Amino acid sequence: MSLYEGAVKRPIMTSLCFLAVIIFGVFSLAKLPIDLYPDIDTNTIMVLTYYNGASANDIENNVTRPLENTLNSVEHLKHITSSSKDNVSVLTLEFEYGYDIDALTNDVRDKLDMVSNAMPTDANQPILFKFSTDMIPILLLSAQADVSQKALYKILDETVANPLARVDGVGSVSISGAPKREINIYMDANKMEAYGLSAAQVSNAIAAENKNITGGTMDIGTQTYTVRVEGEFTDPQQMNNVIVGYKDGAVVYLKDVARIVDDVEERAQRTYTNGAQGAMIIVQKQSGANSVQIANEVRSLLPDLQKNLPSDVKLGIIVDTSDNIKQTIGSLTETVLFALLFVIIVVFVFLGRWRATVIICITIPMSLIASFIYLYATGSSLNMISMSCLSIAIGNVVDDAIVVLENVTTHIERGSDPKQAAIHGTNEVAVSVVASTLTMIAVFFPLTMVSGMSGVLFKELGWMMCIIMTVSTTSALSFTPMLCSQMLRLKKKQGNLFRKIYGPVQRSLDKLDAWYEDKINWAVRHRWTVIIGCIAFFLTSVLAASVFGLDSEFMPANDSGRVGVTLQLPVGTRVEKAEEVAKKFTNIWMQRYGDILEVCNFTVGQAGDNNTYASLNSNGSHIISFNVKFCPSNKRKEKLSDICDQMRADCKADLDLDRFIVLLGGMKSSMGGQNTASFEIYGYDLNNTYDFATKLADEFRKSEFITQVNVSRSDYQPELVIDFDREKLAQQGIGMSTAASHIRNLINGSLLSYYREDGEEYDIKVRYDVNERVSIENIENMLIPNGYGQNIHVRDIATVRESSIPPTIERKDRQRIVTVDAVLASGEALSKGVELGYQICDSLDLPSGVTYQVAGSYEDQQDSDKDLGTLGILIIILVFIVMAAQFESLTYPFIIILSIVFAFSGIIFSLMLTGTTLNIMSTLGGIMLIGIVVKNGIVLIDYTQLLRERNFGLIRSAVVAARSRLRPILMTTLTTILGMVPMAVSQGVGAEMWRPLGISVIGGLTVSTILTLIYVPTMFCIFGGVGITRKRKDMKENMELDAYWKDNKEKELKFIEDEEA
Amino acid sequence: MKAIMISFDQAHYDGVIAALDRTNVRGFTMMQDTQGRGSKTGDPHYGSHAWPSMCSTIFTIVEDEQEEPLMKRLKALDEDTEMLGLRAFSWTIDKCI
Repeated sequence: MSLYEGAVKRPIMTSLCFLAVIIFGVFSLAKLPIDLYPDIDTNTIMVLTYYNGASANDIENNVTRPLENTLNSVEHLKHITSSSKDNVSVLTLEFEYGYDIDALTNDVRDKLDMVSNAMPTDANQPILFKFSTDMIPILLLSAQADVSQKALYKILDETVANPLARVDGVGSVSISGAPKREINIYMDANKMEAYGLSAAQVSNAIAAENKNITGGTMDIGTQTYTVRVEGEFTDPQQMNNVIVGYKDGAVVYLKDVARIVDDVEERAQRTYTNGAQGAMIIVQKQSGANSVQIANEVRSLLPDLQKNLPSDVKLGIIVDTSDNIKQTIGSLTETVLFALLFVIIVVFVFLGRWRATVIICITIPMSLIASFIYLYATGSSLNMISMSCLSIAIGNVVDDAIVVLENVTTHIERGSDPKQAAIHGTNEVAVSVVASTLTMIAVFFPLTMVSGMSGVLFKELGWMMCIIMTVSTTSALSFTPMLCSQMLRLKKKQGNLFRKIYGPVQRSLDKLDAWYEDKINWAVRHRWTVIIGCIAFFLTSVLAASVFGLDSEFMPANDSGRVGVTLQLPVGTRVEKAEEVAKKFTNIWMQRYGDILEVCNFTVGQAGDNNTYASLNSNGSHIISFNVKFCPSNKRKEKLSDICDQMRADCKADLDLDRFIVLLGGMKSSMGGQNTASFEIYGYDLNNTYDFATKLADEFRKSEFITQVNVSRSDYQPELVIDFDREKLAQQGIGMSTAASHIRNLINGSLLSYYREDGEEYDIKVRYDVNERVSIENIENMLIPNGYGQNIHVRDIATVRESSIPPTIERKDRQRIVTVDAVLASGEALSKGVELGYQICDSLDLPSGVTYQVAGSYEDQQDSDKDLGTLGILIIILVFIVMAAQFESLTYPFIIILSIVFAFSGIIFSLMLTGTTLNIMSTLGGIMLIGIVVKNGIVLIDYTQLLRERNFGLIRSAVVAARSRLRPILMTTLTTILGMVPMAVSQGVGAEMWRPLGISVIGGLTVSTILTLIYVPTMFCIFGGVGITRKRKDMKENMELDAYWKDNKEKELKFIEDEEA
Repeated sequence: MKAIMISFDQAHYDGVIAALDRTNVRGFTMMQDTQGRGSKTGDPHYGSHAWPSMCSTIFTIVEDEQEEPLMKRLKALDEDTEMLGLRAFSWTIDKCI
């Protein structure tokens, strides 16, 4: 018993089997997490090596280079980049996508062991660090406080950060903008000098006094007591009475030479949200955890946390990355539902039977739901790719069901019993249904084998489509015939209402059939005119693309409503000035954007040592980092990229700023950011490469469509250098490092003791008062103790001079490098920026030893172009094989494959007309089209061939087949096109990402369908005509040969006998 | 006794069996997949790409009085759905064991 026979004869089993699939699917759907992209595995490992005291140059030569040379041989390595700064070398190893990062980490560790002997003895052991996009914070919370401002850090740490860190999946929670409490002891330089005291003496005295010491145990009577001396201060002001020294026999108290300030740490980051000061809490997720889930959990915790906080501390949300994800998936769900609706309408219009429409409506969701099981089983998520996939699939899954349904209906109309009709009707089309599914699988299966960045996106799509297609075919061959046998009846009389509504539709479809038949009749009699016309059309599109140019980019910018801005004032600018500038920008932006600006948050100042988030980013007193959040894209008119351009214009206009980075989306990544043309300049000589980079950057800045240019190498940083005179040091009986540490203590503060309160420890820092550390003279006047217990001035043993330290040395693939990033204005394509960059580079003098190349997303784009090109060819070959096997012919597949070029013309025209760029999404559309376009050709050729086998004449079979296949082709094409329309016109959040996909499929499919309908019958006639001529020629030759044989039989036979003899 | 050969489009199967039952014909021999074409009208039944439908053929030997009603029923079945095709032929049986 065949599949369909079994299904028709056992309707209960069949429906329950599919019900089980649906239940599993819905169960999986309920459990599926939501995300923006499929899981992108970590592919980066960082190697940090500390070598204290070494300069950038030393680090490069002694640490970075040996490491690079060794690690370069690790397998699957794509790029190795490094930056060598003072004291530290940071190596970043970027691997090809799709390899197990843990195995790679072990490889790296093995190599590091090999190189450990070659490292300088003072260098620390290298630290391995896996870095991924997961490290990007998923939630930024604001905490605004009034009177609790000074204790904010402690409050937030205990009541907010700790509970949040316990949430499953949260990696780390850091607090910035809330300085920690610190007991500052500010010494008066003059008084210290007068009393002959040094800072070391003071801090030692405090440390000695601030101690709890145990005095052993004592037995008194029958009991044992422990003895303790409790010397720790219970109030910071108690330190005032600590005796720090003696002068002329009199006691010198701390209060005589210093003041105690119980305040917060001197250098700390300050955070402002919408103009009001407060703290920022940064939540980062663990690698592999789901952002939306964590964000939801954190959000649900917030009301409880708020209850435990003092009444003046208010928690708020600055950035929630899950918002964008939820909205994007929400609007994509909407497009999928619209697509479903359109498809149902098309099916009803063409079939004109509600029962048939219901059958199709039941089968569509079933195939789609089955794919959720796959997503759940592989641990994937509902993301942009899987949802787009559903949208694409809706139009295709109906095809198989429609073919079966149509044939079953024909049988019923001929008078068969529905059950028999279902079995025999399905039997007749089963082979062609399986063949057309095989062509689709031939298109989508190779997608699962793409490597690299595009592989991450396409793998899931490929698998999902294969699964959906397989399920839809299985259901078309079992579930659909079963439903047909149960539901379809021969309609002997149509209702009046139905006739009134459907009558006009039927009439216009009939008219369309007749009109089309007429045109095809003309076309097959003017074959070469039609073919030349088609070729001309294709050449026009190619010409148009090369003349007007088709703009290309890697991926469209994702309008997440988030902008990250980093402003940099000249190095060494005081934090107060930076704060002033930041406030100015906040005012400008808040006034200009008004309601559409939801949150404007900025952080200034130097981060503390224990802030993991801040230490990953550049920070300093002159750097301001903004987090700006706008309302969702469908609630405002301006595009986020336009807003970014305006912000850049503001930054450009401000002369205080040294450099600025306005980052759309708030983070640097190759997916979904604004188009950036990155040029890498390689060369050993730092000055040469830097000169070339700055020239390139300057030229870029002159261009109208470049809104921001950044050179990766920073300027030389100013510093004060103290040169000790070794002879004088020796005379004073003091070593160089001792002298240096004394100076460090006076400026940075000496930390010898902690103040304890309520189980918390606070630093006690002893140093010169703030106003005694503002000039070079201040340093020169500092007092440090010499080897004989006397205090001497720094100026007696050293000179202080101004200098600058060289910047970080960056390397990529073992060569020194400077990167110039040029961000293009909104709506400008990446290809334009890259072209401009090449022009500039050509016009500049390239110093010897300096080379340049394009990198960044353009490199990704070219990689993916190459991958997709190979993939396209592979797919075409596979599809050809499937078709050749089906038709048992090489001619027909050739005719059909040629029709793909019209799809490309259609894509070119549609992209040009809508001003869309050629990016990874539109290319994906093109690849999918191969399968869909070919399907139309198969339907036409298959039926024409059938008519030829029924002994129809060549032209008649082409015309009759074309007329009879017009409706099925139009129906399947319209379901696909209308299924994509919601994608192409969607205005929802994130729509800019999938719009190119919709546009390219619609454009390509429309043009190719129209042309296929004319071109395929014509080509069929040309090849058929050639075939007939050849057959006639063969027949004629055979007849002549036969006649000759008849006449000369004896002569020929005799000749053969003679030969044998 | 009469021998009746019924050659019909496979979709007629249920109808033909019902007709046999109604006329109390118990025994028959059936060939599931047979090919053929009509002498005057009707599409060929080849099970091929061009002519995908197939026939079945039933041989049944009936009593003389059963022949007429069975043929009538089969004719009604054929006239009801002309598109499918059904033909029946009868001849006399000389001997049987």
